[in-house]
Amino acid sequence: MRRITLFLVAILVVFPATSASGGEDLQAIIDAAEPGAVVVLQPGTYDGNVTIDKPLTLKGEGWPVIDGGGVGNVITVDAPDVTLTGLVIRNTGDSLDQENAGVNGLAPRVTVVNNRLENVLFGVYLRLGDGSYVADNVIGAMGDEVARRGDGIRLWESSGSTVERNVVEGGRDTVLWFSDDLVIRDNRISDGRYGLHFMYSDRAIVSGNELTRNSVGGFLMYSQDLVLTDNVISHNFGPSGYGIGLKDMDGLTATGNHVISNRVGIYLDNSPATPGVEHQIEGNLFAYNGVGIQFLPSVEGNTLSGNAFVDNAEQVGVQGSGVFDGNTWTVGETGNHWSDFAGYDATGDGRGDIAYRLEDLFSSLTDDHPELQFFDQTPASKAVDLAGQLFPAFRPRPKVEDTAPLIEMPEIPRPISIDASGSLLGTGLLALSLLATAVGLLFVARRPGRRLAP
Amino acid sequence: MTMTADRVITERPEMTTILRVARKELRSSVTSRWFWMWVLAFVGLALILVLVALPSTRIGGQAGFGRTAASLVTLVQIIVPLMALTLGALSIAAQRETGALRFLMSHPISRTEAFWGLYLGNSAVLAVATTAGFGAAGVLTISRGVTDGTATFAWIAFASWLLAMAMLGIGMLISTFAKRSSAALGVAVFVWLILVFIGDLGVMGTAAATNMPVSVLFFTALANPVEAFRLLALTAFAGSLDALGPAGVYAVDTLGDNLDLSLLIVLLLWLALPVLAAWQRFRGKADL
Repeated sequence: MRRITLFLVAILVVFPATSASGGEDLQAIIDAAEPGAVVVLQPGTYDGNVTIDKPLTLKGEGWPVIDGGGVGNVITVDAPDVTLTGLVIRNTGDSLDQENAGVNGLAPRVTVVNNRLENVLFGVYLRLGDGSYVADNVIGAMGDEVARRGDGIRLWESSGSTVERNVVEGGRDTVLWFSDDLVIRDNRISDGRYGLHFMYSDRAIVSGNELTRNSVGGFLMYSQDLVLTDNVISHNFGPSGYGIGLKDMDGLTATGNHVISNRVGIYLDNSPATPGVEHQIEGNLFAYNGVGIQFLPSVEGNTLSGNAFVDNAEQVGVQGSGVFDGNTWTVGETGNHWSDFAGYDATGDGRGDIAYRLEDLFSSLTDDHPELQFFDQTPASKAVDLAGQLFPAFRPRPKVEDTAPLIEMPEIPRPISIDASGSLLGTGLLALSLLATAVGLLFVARRPGRRLAP
Repeated sequence: MTMTADRVITERPEMTTILRVARKELRSSVTSRWFWMWVLAFVGLALILVLVALPSTRIGGQAGFGRTAASLVTLVQIIVPLMALTLGALSIAAQRETGALRFLMSHPISRTEAFWGLYLGNSAVLAVATTAGFGAAGVLTISRGVTDGTATFAWIAFASWLLAMAMLGIGMLISTFAKRSSAALGVAVFVWLILVFIGDLGVMGTAAATNMPVSVLFFTALANPVEAFRLLALTAFAGSLDALGPAGVYAVDTLGDNLDLSLLIVLLLWLALPVLAAWQRFRGKADL
């Protein structure tokens, strides 16, 4: 932010500023401005569908509205070093073919800071925008069915860009194509299809983001050397329903993430893709997911240590049957913490004295017959697990063997604080009225009443 | 007392009489040890579950009430059918054995009035147990600082009571047929085993062995009222059935917005049909 402020101050000093108020022809104002000028917009509504074809700062004071009127792009940026800030950008067209966007960037170093984008098909769409900066925007995408939505933020061949502190709700993805060395941090992305979607974008740093209630929190594909740290990834459900999906990724480092209450915490499909590449998944929390971490059978080369697996319905799943080896669950004397570890630590070194082995009969049944997941968590499924424990003949081959399971849950600080929801009053009233019903019925029964017969 | 020996028993049952029998039934239940055993078991287990299920403060209340609800649903699946089936199975059979039923029918009341009075009284007993269990669990949950999902919690409490009523009807149907209360109890426990364990295990085994299509699997499982309750509760706190794999996705795709309604209809059919059959049987030729 400081970088941007300095930048703004610099151009304010050097270039004269023009000022305009609502109702004027925005395109005419832009055309009249000198390259490098700061155009200040006063509150009011301006017609959109404008093109900026010279370096320029368009700065709103008091949230002026630029309205695309439901046609085409609202603002097209066709020159490098353009800054848009303090604007309300609304009502793009709804053509997915033309990819109508609130901010349609076609040049390097576009700066989009502190804007509100409302009812837009695509929010910020930057092509060939190396070194761009997208921060502190609130983007609300058009709320049609998923197939008819656009992307909240899309970068295409825009390497070295930073996307931070944006709030994106609805829409399809925040998607990054062919853009290397990105920094994606502290964004809140919810209710979309793929919260983050990496395609062929190498060496990105993804940290401190909150990816919630999307169909997939982050789908990371065909990218190398991505660092994923300190994100909160929760409540991502739906038919795919992955917290993080990895497809053909090479060189992932994931640490300090909170992966909570997703259908599947992390899903690994052919990742790492290249033999010999190792993925480090260390010190993450996987809690309350349907499946903590799910592999396709041939996946190997992942090293997991110091993670906490807490009360996932299935801690580790393998989709389909087949050989499942070649992933490491213990590094030196450090394994992972498993909430269902039933061993002990007599030696007092904080490690279980016996290995943690994942060999649930029911979950190995569902690995082979996914349709049986239907009975997950039923008394019958528990009976199947019990049978597996009582009769070694039924016991499946262990999926996971961790020779140094951690007894104590490792400290994995919550990266982001989240507001509590719900009301104390409502829940309290409900609980008390339930209790009152019980007591009331008892009172009716106890009160000496008239007899049935004389 | 307004009811005298020369009261004419009409074809039309009177609500006041039914309510009076119901209250007598509730009163005698409340003084029995069975009742308190069930209430204490349900409340105690619910409280323990809440304590165990609540996420630790280190993780935060993110999974909150939904998670508590998930554990409660499993508890309800096991204990509520057992409670309601045995209560229903004993209701008529045990009273027949002790002569209480003959004493009741020596009053100027019709069999219809006696039957619905017994049913209503026992459903009140079940309401006490479920509301006490969910109420106590709710208070404990709030005291641990988790306050989301109020509507979900209320809905699951209500669905539990519906399940209890359905099981009560089945129990009473068993009761009208049984000669002895011990036989009624045995049949009730067997039915419980089928509904809670054997039915699901059978579908599971068949599905695994024959590659049953998910549509068949879903609708076969749905015929079980305990499953209908579970799915109803699950849609409430998970928002959908996606977590249940292909069969869950099939259910959402096929029934869509009607999913909840369909599940409710299954539960209501199980609530209505057995108890109506029991009433017909009791009204007709059941021994006193």
